[in-house]
Amino acid sequence: MAPPLFLQTIEDTGFSTWLRESESPFAFYFILLFHTFGLALLVGANMVVDLRLLGVARAMPLAPLKRLFPIMWIGLAMNAATGVLLVIAYPTKSLTNPDFYAKLAIIGFAVWVMHKLRKQVFDDSNLSELDMTARGAALAKWSLILWLAAITAGRLLAYTYKYLTYPS
Amino acid sequence: MNFPHLHLLLNHFPIIGTIVALGLFLISLVGKNEDLRRASLITFAAMALLAIPTFFSGTGAQGAIKKLPGVSEALIERHQGAAMLALLFMEITGAFSLVGLWKSQGTSTRARWNSTMSAVLLFSVVTVGLMARVGTTGGDIRHPEIGTGQEELTEDSVISKMISRLEPSPSKFAELMTASKWWWAFMMDLHFIGLVLLIGTVGILDLRMLGFAKQIPIGPLHRLVPWAMAGFGLNLVTGVLAFTGMDQYYTYNWAFWIKMLAIMLLGVNVAAFYLTGAFESVESLGPGDDAPPLAKFIAATSLFLWFAVITLGRYIQSYSDTISVHK
Repeated sequence: MAPPLFLQTIEDTGFSTWLRESESPFAFYFILLFHTFGLALLVGANMVVDLRLLGVARAMPLAPLKRLFPIMWIGLAMNAATGVLLVIAYPTKSLTNPDFYAKLAIIGFAVWVMHKLRKQVFDDSNLSELDMTARGAALAKWSLILWLAAITAGRLLAYTYKYLTYPS
Repeated sequence: MNFPHLHLLLNHFPIIGTIVALGLFLISLVGKNEDLRRASLITFAAMALLAIPTFFSGTGAQGAIKKLPGVSEALIERHQGAAMLALLFMEITGAFSLVGLWKSQGTSTRARWNSTMSAVLLFSVVTVGLMARVGTTGGDIRHPEIGTGQEELTEDSVISKMISRLEPSPSKFAELMTASKWWWAFMMDLHFIGLVLLIGTVGILDLRMLGFAKQIPIGPLHRLVPWAMAGFGLNLVTGVLAFTGMDQYYTYNWAFWIKMLAIMLLGVNVAAFYLTGAFESVESLGPGDDAPPLAKFIAATSLFLWFAVITLGRYIQSYSDTISVHK
């Protein structure tokens, strides 16, 4: 069964072709680079919060780590934007791969956990450090697992696709 | 500058530097001199870092001479295998040295013996021996005037025969790395996880020094550094394994070499942070305190260089075959 035709339509647009085929260093690899920057901001900041909630660097006060959440949201926004561009560059490659949907689902869960972490642990300024850790430890563990899974699913996109471009 | 030049320029450092560091280390043990011991541990770590591009530059050097008359491929292979084993022990020595430096923070000036120091002693002695063999087998490739005059592969002593059996065969090792795309995918996955671990911890420390999230006290934040080192270690291992799997691909690639240069500069950056008093100047800064200019400068440089490393790493794929000398 051939992949749906709209994939070919996207691929044939000038923008998609330019992203995919341009020799310019500011085309595909530039987008991929910012997707990696976004990953570094989003998961890097997340991991520090998770590790602290799980008992690493206990002497560090938890409350000011609230300031790391904007970094995570900026990273997420960057990756949503660059992610859309990467799909436009290779629509058939990504949208025909089940791993792509698995990745999106995992990221969905991870962002949900991140949001819960922020609301339940960091938004209530009356909580003591002990309460924050008690509330956050389980979420932090899930956050770590989900982000590691998201990175893995993302990496696997480079190795599991069925079509690179629309089959002719 | 070409690859043989680069290889010759670099390859004396890990060999001679490790001998010097071991000498200083032994003297520091006898004299119970903490400063000297730290100096020797820093030298071990620096040599472990320099050994990486030294090892990488070997492939290009091989490419330049392998077609010359009188150059034996078998001798080159033996040298490469010896280098792989020595590199393994060099990196373990460097890792234990960093652990020792980390543990010695804030302790008295009296050098204390502990299990980490035993490990440094053991692994550095083995490294010095293996490095000597790397130097000798390397010299055999292109220096008939030394006297061994080997054009064929011969193992003269019992010890070198024994060691050569422990050394991996470079070509078989490369095959092993690339045999399965899932193994390769796994290594690359770990490389990204290491990246996140490293940039997350170091990046936040750098940002705090630059004035972001000033409510975080720096001393406790700095306790995250071992996680950054773990991330770096993970990427060092996966990076070296990837190189041994596809050495031609990485060797003739500008993005790869500039990335290596950036990583060496980061070594200088870390040394500047801990050895110029910048660390002491920020260590006790509490909520709301501002870091002095030198610490800010070092933090900004670190952020810039780490993002440069990510950038250059991402561009390796699109810069393949950009170096054409001696291929």
